[in-house]
Amino acid sequence: MIGRWLVAMGLVAAASAPPAWTPPRTPDGRPDLQGFWTNATITPLERPRELGAKEYYTEEEAAEYRKKALVPLSTAERGGTEAHYEFTQFGLDRSQAPIAFSMRTSMIVGPEGRVPPLTQEAQQRNAERAARNKGHEFDGPENRTIQERCIVWGNEGPPMLPPGYNSFLQIVQTPASVAIMQEMIHDVRIIPLDGRPHAPANVRRWLGDSRGRWEGDTLVVDTTNFTDQTNFRGSRENLHVVERFTRVDDGTIRYQFTVDDPTTWAKAWSGELPLVKDKGPIYEYACHEGNYGLANNLRGARAKEKADEAKTGKKDPK
Amino acid sequence: MLKRVAIGLAACAVLLTAAPAPAHHAFSSEFDVEKPLQLQGVVTVMEWVNPHSWIHIDVKNPQGTLNWMVEGGSPNQLLRLGFTKNALLPGMEIVVSGYQAKDGTNKAVGRDLTFADGRKLFLSESAAGVQK
Repeated sequence: MIGRWLVAMGLVAAASAPPAWTPPRTPDGRPDLQGFWTNATITPLERPRELGAKEYYTEEEAAEYRKKALVPLSTAERGGTEAHYEFTQFGLDRSQAPIAFSMRTSMIVGPEGRVPPLTQEAQQRNAERAARNKGHEFDGPENRTIQERCIVWGNEGPPMLPPGYNSFLQIVQTPASVAIMQEMIHDVRIIPLDGRPHAPANVRRWLGDSRGRWEGDTLVVDTTNFTDQTNFRGSRENLHVVERFTRVDDGTIRYQFTVDDPTTWAKAWSGELPLVKDKGPIYEYACHEGNYGLANNLRGARAKEKADEAKTGKKDPK
Repeated sequence: MLKRVAIGLAACAVLLTAAPAPAHHAFSSEFDVEKPLQLQGVVTVMEWVNPHSWIHIDVKNPQGTLNWMVEGGSPNQLLRLGFTKNALLPGMEIVVSGYQAKDGTNKAVGRDLTFADGRKLFLSESAAGVQK
């Protein structure tokens, strides 16, 4: 039953020669990107330091790593806390999902294979922001992360990175626009292809403002206008993302991204991962409606304040 | 029962490190590791909702019956694995090992979930843990 989901596809090696393969096309002649795809992966964003500049595994190394990575991991092995359900019991362990394999040792391309260090400015900015919320993390819902509040999750990007489970997306395409829906956590990116400029600088969006164009058979999507609550590896409203979608075989889209933000990193950096065809469907992920956890967290904090008051006789100033 | 189909085209790379951290909220601020508990009760409702499923169970004790809410994982992958809304119905008896919510109410996270006879709630021997 589960085995049918274990799809292993997609050697997407950037260095390899273009395959002699013609993508299916839409009536207007563009490569057809439509359908259900998964970006679940066992390839990390950053390359483990011990691998140095090694960008690709050999087939033997890849097979060995794959074998180890697909052993179900207990919560503790995943780095979770004790107060946590076992992922394997809910089918959330990656050994139970279709995986988009690649030979890469990291999503980030190039000899460094890691996110560049934050600039001094970015370190200071982020430290100040963290300091402002320190001690107030549970004052109210606004103090909680946008992820915990079910507003937008980090995997949604762009760049779109695998969420760890339920890693599925659907692409729908017309001559005028492309729409991408990610199962987690339900948002749809609608990307105009008609050449219109980005929205004015005062218009800010959770997933940024995306504009697409075709470069040959590759869909290129440029995204700006993020919010000041965006937090992609320390980058915020000045994040600029360029994504490239290229169908490389019947079952695979090569997904590449480049991010830059001079207020956060000294240089731009890039990554890639395969999107592997899935039979679908995408299921509803109505995050806010079932988000009892947020209220439970706040109630837990209130209960602790009461207990502390009873113990010390002092009222919490907050 | 578990059929292993199609693993592998050419090249498959894997990394053990940097496993994603998909929990969407801070478990340790919602549930209290100092309050471990074990509950045995009868299912009254299974909420197949995101971001977490919630199982409601009636737990009998000498003082009467208390209804507890138990948090679990996102149900979407369970649906993909073939489970349906009939997988866990009112009247079924289950055992929950977990931790109580920090707000002190009758809520808990279900760390391990089994039927009364010890079988895993959602996963049989043929599912997780045996796939290689």
